[in-house]
Amino acid sequence: MIRTDRRLINLPMVARVVGWLMMIESIFMCAPLVTCIIYGESDALGFAIAVALTAGLGAAFNFCLHPSRTDMGKREGFLLTALVWVIFSLFGMIPFILSHAHLSVSDAFFEAMSGFTTTGATVMSTIDHFSHGLILWRCLMQWIGGMGIILFTLAVIPMLNHSGGVQMFNSEVTGITHDKIRPRISQTAKSLWLMYIILTVLLAVLLVLGPMDLFEAICHAFGTISTGGFSSQDAGISAWDNSLYIKIVVTVFMFLGGVNFGAMIMAVTRGPRTLARNEAFNTYLEVIGLTFVIFVIAIIAGGHFRTWEDITINPLFMIISTITSTGYAIVDFESWGTFTLVLVFVLMFFGACAGSTSGGAKIDRILFLVKNTRNELDRCVHPNTIMPVTLSGKVMSPETVNKVIAFLCIYMLLILVGGIVLTAFGIPLIDAFFSAFSCVGNTGLGAGVTGYGSNYDVIPNVGKWTLSFLMLVGRLEIYTVLILFTKAFWRR
Amino acid sequence: MKIVIAGAGDVGSHLAKLLSNEEQDILVIDNDPAKVDPLDANYNLMTMTGSPTSFRTLRDAGVDKCDLFIAVTPYETDNITACAISKRLGAKRTVGRIDSYDYMNPENKPVVKEMGIDSLIYPEFVAAQEIISALRRSWVRNWFELHNGEIIVVGVKLRANAPLAGMQLKEFASKQHNFHVSAIKRNHEIIIPRGDDRMMVGDILYFTTTHDHVDELIDLCGKTWYRIRRVVIMGGSKIAIRLARMAADEFKIKIIEENVDVCRKLPQMCPGVEIVHGDARDVDLLNEEGIEDTDAFIALTDSSESNVLACLTAKELGVKKTIAEVENIHFISQAEGLNIGTVINKKLLASSSIFQLLLDADSSTPRCLALAEAEVAEIVAREGSKITKAPVKELRLQRDMTIAGLIRNGRGMLVSGDTHIKAGDHVVVFCMAGYLHKVEKLFT
Repeated sequence: MIRTDRRLINLPMVARVVGWLMMIESIFMCAPLVTCIIYGESDALGFAIAVALTAGLGAAFNFCLHPSRTDMGKREGFLLTALVWVIFSLFGMIPFILSHAHLSVSDAFFEAMSGFTTTGATVMSTIDHFSHGLILWRCLMQWIGGMGIILFTLAVIPMLNHSGGVQMFNSEVTGITHDKIRPRISQTAKSLWLMYIILTVLLAVLLVLGPMDLFEAICHAFGTISTGGFSSQDAGISAWDNSLYIKIVVTVFMFLGGVNFGAMIMAVTRGPRTLARNEAFNTYLEVIGLTFVIFVIAIIAGGHFRTWEDITINPLFMIISTITSTGYAIVDFESWGTFTLVLVFVLMFFGACAGSTSGGAKIDRILFLVKNTRNELDRCVHPNTIMPVTLSGKVMSPETVNKVIAFLCIYMLLILVGGIVLTAFGIPLIDAFFSAFSCVGNTGLGAGVTGYGSNYDVIPNVGKWTLSFLMLVGRLEIYTVLILFTKAFWRR
Repeated sequence: MKIVIAGAGDVGSHLAKLLSNEEQDILVIDNDPAKVDPLDANYNLMTMTGSPTSFRTLRDAGVDKCDLFIAVTPYETDNITACAISKRLGAKRTVGRIDSYDYMNPENKPVVKEMGIDSLIYPEFVAAQEIISALRRSWVRNWFELHNGEIIVVGVKLRANAPLAGMQLKEFASKQHNFHVSAIKRNHEIIIPRGDDRMMVGDILYFTTTHDHVDELIDLCGKTWYRIRRVVIMGGSKIAIRLARMAADEFKIKIIEENVDVCRKLPQMCPGVEIVHGDARDVDLLNEEGIEDTDAFIALTDSSESNVLACLTAKELGVKKTIAEVENIHFISQAEGLNIGTVINKKLLASSSIFQLLLDADSSTPRCLALAEAEVAEIVAREGSKITKAPVKELRLQRDMTIAGLIRNGRGMLVSGDTHIKAGDHVVVFCMAGYLHKVEKLFT
């Protein structure tokens, strides 16, 4: 006999799906485990424990729970998505604690969260002497998080191929509207991941052809396409500062990482014209072009023009690295002057296209803001004119505009509140705000940029938890996480 | 299967949800973003905003590669245009909803086919058919015939005087082998029953049986069969006109219509029917028109609330059979809970007949009938499938499905625990809505 038990949130089902996801994470963890074994490193034990623990608990959740009903609605979608990101970080941090890095729980969680959210902020002052497995795991985390944990699950588990899966898709994928590419959610997820994997493989091959070895190429491919910014070297990508080839390849793929993946798939299947009609993509190009000109002028005026690279690839690399929230830095760009630094802040705020792997507020929303502001100003003169906000020629409803404006307000409030909280833990004013900004935007440019310590390890433990939270909120685009803290979510 | 649905009204959205749960690739097109957005956000399907009659929209939707194009916008002409364009663009099969019987006329069929519309859906016609079948079998709530009537599924409400009331299913099963209780609807909820469930007064029981034994159910459920002759229809709507034209010689029909202008036109459209001007909610008028001698009262106005209330009034005045049209889908289960005999919903009928059409077209998918929350499917067992491995009771089937009957070599029979299903049997399965694709796996 079937009886339906109508509880507000279908917790058993959520737990069961979490179990599935944990098993998937453990499969990903096998990659660094195998790497450790290949290189004969003792961190293999740490990874083995992590894999066993994650897979074991995941299987326990999955096989011991038999939910009486399997339907999932909006609430389950939000809860599951937010929960999964936290749980992935919780289990993803185990290798950092057990390995030779010997991070504390706070540090390890920060590092894992920073990895999955593709922030790329690190608490490890040096990684050179760590095992290959650990370095690979950092980059792999970014790669998984870049396209999205949920999206991967939707692609591989047929169980979620129903309306509950759609809710999860909506709560994870970035952007104002969530365009489906194919009728069924699993097909959409598969197309997106396929595109992502093709780009990653292509990048890895191109990097291997340059001065990188295979391991470095794979790590950087993961860090670049996910616009995360982890590297296999202490010096980061600057270790290849003298290789023009690497800089160009990485710049191109960071750029691609910032393009809407759905739009890219459309461009591949229906011809590149569809991309040319995409307004957000055009604005993305324009912003890059405009800031490039300003950067070049600033560099020449500041007297930093030494070689041709200084006014071509270097500023371009820096611009794309920040606008896509990758956070790779090749040159000491602080020496270009405070003005360029401020421009970098603006770029960090902008972010690249919605539906890409990048962070920030997303250029689509900035477009909305600009257009809406312009309309409001026009309306002062012509109060009776109807002036809708349009995007790629489509008229957006006032509700959507409201939602976007609200998003941007909350976004800025988050940075503000985050900064204030951090100052309470004794972090200097500018650095507090900068690190909050950098984490909400998932950029992860080192706190070192503002001259306070070399990276995030100087921040006290409470601060790290705060920043981890900000990264999560930023990655899931605010609503998914913050809604869990509202009364309306838990009550009818 | 790739299916494009044009029009996200009630029929379109209902169909889209139904098909999306069956793991089909669905794309819904509508002019109004407010209609498609909720579908897009909540269901596993894709939507597009645009005119269903524009070449550009249809090309973007990829109708050239679709297996089925369904046009169910509110406008007949739009549906025809959309079907014609899609067919020319390369849609394999098109279905269009129409508003007049004209297109269904057999002599016009070649022309309609030529225009690019493969199947027609005329909801008023389906509704009229449904009403006639309810009138002919006045004791039945639902009546489905499977495989040319070899297996019959009947939904009956259990009366307090029924011998079956309070009986356990296994008790009932041990006494006879002619009926299989396949589903029970109790308090808005469908139950796929087990042996220890009891049949309660007020339940709607879905029996699976063969043609020879159907009539025994009348006594078992405490019903009496009576021939319906005099019928009063409230509201001169399209369904009423259709019904009058189809069944005027079988029943003596009287239509009560409020609007004088409509009343004047009605005699021409349905000859042989008595037309009365007035409000059928008015008890005095009903008495005057001889309601106590009426066998059936059918309420077919645009207002679902009026229909339900008018039926309740008629019931109190002594009419044995009442039928109400309830267009608001959320009201249906409430209306069924009240003591109204049969509830008619044009949209649900239209979507399930399209569903049926579609399943007929593709012989690999089961043929099925959709009840509110459960589905009845006729599936062919394949060679070597799990279902043929052992007798039914040893298969350890899931709890949300039950095997009601099967058709072997063109003969219908019921299934008990000892039945061993063979490859090639057409098996009738009841399952909860959305589980059909799981059930299908057992058969392939």
